[in-house]
Amino acid sequence: MTEDAILVEGLSKRFYRYHGARPWTFQELFLRGASWYRKRYEFWALRDISFRLAPGRTAGVIGRNGAGKSTLLRLVGGVGKADRGRIEIRGRIGALIDLGAGFHPDLSGRENVFINGVISGLTHKEVAKNFDSIVAFAELEEFIDSPLRIYSTGMQMRLAFAIAVHIQPAILLIDEILAVGDYAFQNKCLERIAQFKAQGCTILLVSHNTNLVSRFCDEVLWLEAGELKAHGEAEQVVGQYLAEMGARTRARTPDVSGVQTTPTGVELRLNENRFGSLEVEIEAVNFYNTRGEPTRELESGEGVVIEIAYIAPQPIAAPIFGVTITRPDGLVCWDSSTQPDLLPTSRLQGKGKVILHLERLDLVEGQYYIDVGIYQHDWEYSYDYHWHVYPLKIHSHESQKGILSPPHRWEFKDKDY
Amino acid sequence: MRLTIIKKDNNRLIYLYDLLRALVLRDLKLRYRRSILGVLWTLLNPLAQLVVLNLVFHLILPLNIPNYTLFLFTGLLAWNWFQASLYVGAGSIVDNRELIHRPGFPTAVLPIVTVLSNFIHFLLALPILILFMLLAKIQISSAFLVLPVVFAVQFIFSLGLIYFLAAFQVTFRDTQYLLGILLFLGFYLTPVFYDSSAIPARMQLLYRLNPMVTLIDSYRAIFIHARSPEWLPLLLIGLIVIVFLRFTFSIFQSASYRFVEEL
Repeated sequence: MTEDAILVEGLSKRFYRYHGARPWTFQELFLRGASWYRKRYEFWALRDISFRLAPGRTAGVIGRNGAGKSTLLRLVGGVGKADRGRIEIRGRIGALIDLGAGFHPDLSGRENVFINGVISGLTHKEVAKNFDSIVAFAELEEFIDSPLRIYSTGMQMRLAFAIAVHIQPAILLIDEILAVGDYAFQNKCLERIAQFKAQGCTILLVSHNTNLVSRFCDEVLWLEAGELKAHGEAEQVVGQYLAEMGARTRARTPDVSGVQTTPTGVELRLNENRFGSLEVEIEAVNFYNTRGEPTRELESGEGVVIEIAYIAPQPIAAPIFGVTITRPDGLVCWDSSTQPDLLPTSRLQGKGKVILHLERLDLVEGQYYIDVGIYQHDWEYSYDYHWHVYPLKIHSHESQKGILSPPHRWEFKDKDY
Repeated sequence: MRLTIIKKDNNRLIYLYDLLRALVLRDLKLRYRRSILGVLWTLLNPLAQLVVLNLVFHLILPLNIPNYTLFLFTGLLAWNWFQASLYVGAGSIVDNRELIHRPGFPTAVLPIVTVLSNFIHFLLALPILILFMLLAKIQISSAFLVLPVVFAVQFIFSLGLIYFLAAFQVTFRDTQYLLGILLFLGFYLTPVFYDSSAIPARMQLLYRLNPMVTLIDSYRAIFIHARSPEWLPLLLIGLIVIVFLRFTFSIFQSASYRFVEEL
C-alpha cells in the first residue's frame, strides 16, 4: 500500500547508562551482585521519530552532536533494535558507514576488495565484474597486489570508499563521508553520490556540513536531543537550523561591558561587531604584503599574508579558524576555513598564531573587510568572530565593475582567420 | 519493533554462500600468511599430540588397544575440530565488532565461519589419517559414505554450542577462560585416547549424554573397523543436536540486537 522507500513510524530508542562500569566478568558480577543493575538510568537517544521518504529523494539529517543522527541512520540500516515504533525499507541498502570493515593489513589490496565487497553486500561475481572499476576509482592500480599494511590511511579509505560506491543500492545511507582523502578525491566522491541520486537512489545523509546538505538534499530532518525538530524543504530547515545556532552563539556571548580596542583603533563591541563565547579570543589580526611589510592597502593581484594571533586561557579542543573577505555591503567575496583535523595539535592552549597565505588577491579596486572567526570544532557556535573590524583597501590601475579582477588581456585576430 | 525489509532478492542464498566463502578463505589465509611452514602447522599440532600420547599410553601405561596410533589420531582430529571451533567460535562475535556494526551484515554467519574453517583443517589432515590406515592394512570401505553424516552431526552440535557461547561471551568476557577449563575436562570425558568401552556399564548412560562419545565411536567404526557406525545412537544424537541448535539459534537471534550496543 505504501510506496515509500523508507517509512519510519514512532521510532524510539533507549540506552542505559550505568553508574560506574557494568560488570564484564563473572568475578565482578559475584562481588557486586545486582547493585549495578539497580543503579542504571535510561536516556532516550531517539523519541517518537516519524517520517517517510519517497523513492529517489535525498534527505539530510542535521543536528548537534549527540542529537541521535547516527543512531537513526544505524536503525534504518537494521543495526540494533528500536524500543518502539517501526521501520519499513524497500530495496537493497548500501551504506557509507564504517567503511573498511573486515579489512586486514596482512592481506593484499585485491584480497581485501573481494572480502570487503562481499561483506558490503555484493556477490563474489559482482565484485569480480566491478573489480577493475573499483581499483581505478581508488587510483590504486600499482598497489593492488601489495599488502594493505603498506597503504597510507588515505589509500585505505579510498579503497574502502571505492568498494562502497560500487554497490547498486536502492537506498544509500551516508554518515559524514567528507573525511575521505584529499580534496580531489572528495570531489570525486561527491560526483559519485550525485550520480547515485541521478539514478534514482534514495539517500539518507548525516552531516554537520550544512552547505553540503543544502546543496545535495531535497529535504532535511533536523534532530534535536533525540526528537525530530523540523522536517521540510532543505533550504528552509537548514536556514532555521543556522538561525538557531547563531542565536545560541549570541546567547553564549558573555555580558562584558568593557569595550576593547584593536591596535588600529576600531572598538570591539560584543554583539555588534564581535560575536562569541570568548573561550578563545582573537588578539590581533595583521596583514603583510609579499615583501613582509605590515600593510592595510594592496595592489589588485598582489599576494597577502593574514596573521591571526589568538589566546586560549583554557585548553580548547581543536577549533576551526575561518577568514572571509567581504564588501562593506556584506557581499561575501571569498571564504575559507581550516579543517580541525589538519591542526598539528588536538587541543589549543595559551597564545599562538594562525597564518593564511594568499598568493594573489584578484579583486577589483575598493574597500573590503577581512572578517576573522574561531569556531567550535563542529561549527556549533563561535568562540570569537570579528565582523567588519579589519579593513583592507585594494587599488587598481583600471576602474572596474564586478568583484573579480583576474590577470587578463584582450587579443584580436584578423577576420580572415 | 518490526523491521521489514521488502526486496525481490532471490540472490540471497548465493550471497550467503559467497559471504561464507570469503570469510572462511580470509580465516585460512590469515592463519598461514607470513609463516614458513604455512598449512603444515595444521598437521604438526595433532602429530605432536599424537607422539606424546602414543608414548604415554603405548609404552608407559599401555592400554593394549590394537592400531593405537590410528585409534588415537582419529580421536585427536575429531576432538581438535570440536575444541578449536568452540574456543574461537565463542569469541567470534566479540572479535568481529566492526562487522556486527555494518548495516545488513548477517551476524549469524560468524559462528558458521569458525566451524567451517576448522572443519577444513580436519579435512586437510585426512590424507595422513588414511596413510595411517594403509600402514595398519585397513581398507577404505564403503563405510566412508557415512562419513558426511557424522561430519554433519558434529558440525551441528558444535554450532549449537557456539551460538550459545558467543552470545554469552558478549555479556561476560571471561566466558573464554571458563570454556578453557570445561574443554580441559571434556578432553578426559571424551574417548580421545581411551576406548569408550572402558567406562563401567552402570555409568555408560550418563557418559553417553556427551554427544562427542557417540561421534568419536562412529569415526572409529569407519576408520578402524571399516564398518558403518551404529545407526541408532548416531541418529538419536543427530535429532537431539538439531533441536538443540534450533533452540540456541533462537537465543542467539534474540540476543543479537543487543550485540551492537554492548560492543
